[in-house]
Amino acid sequence: MSNPAKPGPILEACNLFKSYDEGRIEALREVSVSIQHGEFLAISGPSGSGKSTLLQLIGGLDAPTSGEVYFEGSLLGSAIDLDTYRAKHVGFVFQAFHLMPTLRAIENVQVPMLALKTSADDRVKRAETLLMEMGLENRMGQYPNQLSAGERQRVAIARALANSPSILVADEPTGNLDSVNSARIMEMLTGIQKKHGMTLIIVTHENDIAEMAPRHIRIRDGRVES
Amino acid sequence: MSAHLSFARFAWRNLWRRRFRTLLTLFGIGMAIAAFVALVGFSNSFESEWKRAYESSGTDIAVVQKTFLNTSVDESDGATLMKLPDVASISPMILNMMDLTPEVNALAFGWTADTYEFESLHFVSGGRFHDGKSEVILGELLAQNLNKQVGDTLDIQGTGFKVVGIFHGASALEEGAAILPLDELQEISSLQGKVTTFHVRLKPAPPGVSSEQYLKQAQGQIEAALPGLKAIPAAERAANNQLVGAAHAAAWGTSLIALIIGILGIANTMAMSVFERTREIGILRAIGWKRWNILLLIEFEATVLGFAGGILGIGFGVAALRLLSRLPQTASIVTSTIAPSLLIEAVFVAVLAGLLAGAVPAWRGAKLSPVEALRYE
Ligand SMILES: Nc1ncnc2c1ncn2[C@@H]1O[C@H](COP(=O)(O)OP(=O)(O)O)[C@@H](O)[C@H]1O
Ligand SMILES: [Mg+2]
Repeated sequence: MSNPAKPGPILEACNLFKSYDEGRIEALREVSVSIQHGEFLAISGPSGSGKSTLLQLIGGLDAPTSGEVYFEGSLLGSAIDLDTYRAKHVGFVFQAFHLMPTLRAIENVQVPMLALKTSADDRVKRAETLLMEMGLENRMGQYPNQLSAGERQRVAIARALANSPSILVADEPTGNLDSVNSARIMEMLTGIQKKHGMTLIIVTHENDIAEMAPRHIRIRDGRVES
Repeated sequence: MSAHLSFARFAWRNLWRRRFRTLLTLFGIGMAIAAFVALVGFSNSFESEWKRAYESSGTDIAVVQKTFLNTSVDESDGATLMKLPDVASISPMILNMMDLTPEVNALAFGWTADTYEFESLHFVSGGRFHDGKSEVILGELLAQNLNKQVGDTLDIQGTGFKVVGIFHGASALEEGAAILPLDELQEISSLQGKVTTFHVRLKPAPPGVSSEQYLKQAQGQIEAALPGLKAIPAAERAANNQLVGAAHAAAWGTSLIALIIGILGIANTMAMSVFERTREIGILRAIGWKRWNILLLIEFEATVLGFAGGILGIGFGVAALRLLSRLPQTASIVTSTIAPSLLIEAVFVAVLAGLLAGAVPAWRGAKLSPVEALRYE
């Protein structure tokens, strides 16, 4: 859980550069951004502008080509390793849900907990609580292919919350949903952010979704516009 | 339905997802383990039958050529042996596998008519043969398989041998053996003047000398008197008897080849599985799994395949051994009893096979970059 009493930003990205294909593609150039504890930030921009790349660096899924990301003052990849950072402090939500097809809803939510030393009983209890919070108390035993798109994304959100991260990162979380389900998922994400005081970072290319966030940055060609 | 998700359950679901492929893989490793259990079990039981045969005859030391698998010890060396102070009696002999009929092959021994080896045989009918005569005595089991009785004639390598006795032996080996006069066997095998081995009984150990020390001393005496020959304590001799050695080598060699094929089967399955799950591995990394978690999951799946294949293989192997112990061709040299240690060994080998097979796929899965894996279509 976040600790609003802690001084300083929860995340600080300084001068991030990221290139792919041995420098042939420059996905991010000189991006700096500071994010406060409990903040809700939207990142928008056209397709291919580097939004997902930025999210991956902030979420510790990849390391920048140059530049630094600090989590609560600790340098990612040195003071805290990326694996530990992802496991304990970050929850990921994806556009394509990315649930494990062989596992039931309640099992999917337990997967992140297998990487930490959560006891078996606590794993199930936690998964049940989270799925209930997502309004899925009647769908816990279903496999992903037995769930609707909106339900799948709710399971994915429950999974992202499994290890009680302080940061929730969502990459186009409503990209595969109709407008009714989109609204519902956004309501849940913002509800969780408020209720738990979490830091929520959403990547989207839809303006009306970006506008729901108190703070909104736009990216174009790998640079922050505003 | 239990709502618990464990590492093992996750692994199991992954294997179950491709159950046909999993089953085929299990049969592959299962066959390898079956071969291991049946062949190594066979050679072990062959060895223990030899041990029993030596023990019952009271042989202390066997004297053989230093090189492998031959019948080239000079019979005349017996005289030198008899002069040694610790030697009480000797028994020159030949042993060989022989085709008696197209279906039945048996151990053939060549003994002298006065050898002490006769003491451990119990004649069911008839009695000893005579040196220089075309006579043969048969173990009970062999007589039954050949359907021969005392007074019948048995054709061995083109010569008619008269069955003069049927005996009950101390081991399944002797039960299934034919024993001929040494000189007759030498003649039909064109091995005049040659023997495979001398069995030696020692005089009682002098007071104050331990039997082990005494055995060592006698060994030294014999080897000094007959350079080029080796004196082996009977207990050891069972383990490195030429036939037993050949059986062990064939068993382990064949099993090893089968095991390599089984291991490649698991490795192939796991490599395909990792390839298919590239994106899932990326997802697992994103939601908090570390490299070693991925490594463990894949190794676990491979080990489950090895273990389950091992259990399956033990079932097949035990069944095969049972069958071998009943077939007339092999009944004389194998019993169906399997040492529990062999089964434990088989499970151990199967699990090790799984671990080995899983190593490379697991390592490849673990080193995938999460970002690349997530982008993988
Ligand atoms: N792993 C990668 N390898 C090569 N090129 C990549 C990789 N990830 C992203 N890119 C490229 O980097 C640029 C930015 O991609 P991305 O961050 O996914 O943009 P967005 O999320 O805004 O659509 C694009 O040109 C994309 O093709
Ligand atoms: Mg994107």
